[in-house]
Amino acid sequence: MGLIEIYIQEVTRRLPEKNREDIALELRSTIEDMLPEDYQEKDVKAALEQLGSPAKLAYGYMDRPMHLIGPRYFDTYVSLLKMILPIAVTISLIATIATFITGYDGKEAIMNIVFEIIGFGISSIIEVGIQTFFWLTIVFAVIERVDSSKGTEPLSQGLQKWTADDLKNITYIPKKKAITKVEVFGGLFWTAIWGTVYFYADHLLGVYEGESQELNFITPAVNQDVLLQYWPFILAIIALEVGLSIYKLIQKQWTKGLAIYNTVLQIIVSVVFVWIVTNPNLFKNEFTVYMTNLFSITEVQLETWVIVGGIIIFIVSAVISIIDGIRKARAN
Amino acid sequence: MSSLLNSLTTELRRGTLTLAVLSQLRKPQYGYSLVQLLEQAGIHIDQSTLYPLLRRLEKQELVTSSWDTSESRPRKYYVLSDFGVETFLQLKKEWMENSNQLLALLKGDEEDGFN
Repeated sequence: MGLIEIYIQEVTRRLPEKNREDIALELRSTIEDMLPEDYQEKDVKAALEQLGSPAKLAYGYMDRPMHLIGPRYFDTYVSLLKMILPIAVTISLIATIATFITGYDGKEAIMNIVFEIIGFGISSIIEVGIQTFFWLTIVFAVIERVDSSKGTEPLSQGLQKWTADDLKNITYIPKKKAITKVEVFGGLFWTAIWGTVYFYADHLLGVYEGESQELNFITPAVNQDVLLQYWPFILAIIALEVGLSIYKLIQKQWTKGLAIYNTVLQIIVSVVFVWIVTNPNLFKNEFTVYMTNLFSITEVQLETWVIVGGIIIFIVSAVISIIDGIRKARAN
Repeated sequence: MSSLLNSLTTELRRGTLTLAVLSQLRKPQYGYSLVQLLEQAGIHIDQSTLYPLLRRLEKQELVTSSWDTSESRPRKYYVLSDFGVETFLQLKKEWMENSNQLLALLKGDEEDGFN
């Protein structure tokens, strides 16, 4: 008798309360039906083995799904996850960096701050990633269980049944023209980084000397006052760059309009860069002296190196970006 | 039997089990008597599949159940409801048509030299 009782308990403990008694009664009578008149323990074992694992039998009785997210919602779930995750991660990264910069008191060496930002950045990426994944999964698991429509057709992204008309809302994107999410969010991230460097250049750009574990900031490279004269242009460029990233995110592929936008932006950025970098008061005297001593070159040589080198690198990368955009926009 | 063949066979049979069970429930049956009836007809059904299936059919109102306590041990009897009979006849017709079509397909195969 013992084994039968335990078996029935193993089945019913997995079932909703209201069904337990009835199923237990039916199971017991079934098991007894299977046994011969004078049964031994081995007969009981044989009968129970025929019924199979209690867990399997219990799950057979339950209407609840045995999966977290079924085929009906899986595609919608994955699409949403792919869409939300990079956005959440980028926002959290930018927020982390902004928090550090606005809370900067100017005392700590900037390289140490950079390492701290990297550390916090990584942990915030992981945390936001896990949070997003967790909550989205929970929401879909709940939807899966409360959906009483009993449909089995997978749903499209709008949570409607798929029709051929859905195809009209999707633009065909050839691989050659496609803009990846990495490109979009990388662009946004780059804007955040150089924007930060611009407004805090006197803390960030300059000469560092390593001194037993710590990096010490010796002298800034630029006159922040001179640099900040250009702030309205910089702000405009930041706005235009963010606009470009959002435009890319919406279009998902290179178009003629996007290529024109990119070309105009690259030209504006190059002009402003050359304008700023050729300002004779831009570099601090201390910096120029330090560098000329370090490399034993004249002031003129140094300025030629830094300014001409900077301008060449900048313009070459701008031209590459313009050509790349136009080429992709024209590709078929 | 290879495991692939095994899973394909299971899949083939799965849809027919409901029909097989419904066909035997014109007269009231309890769980184990149904197992034996089906076994006699050469149809093997896992008991862990059958008992939950009976409950599901009851929930779908295709069968009704009643406890018989007059014998030595209480037994739960299942029998087709009116709706169940109607559904069963339609399913049966569906199955006959399907198997005729499939038979024609398979016969065509044999004529082409496959076996």
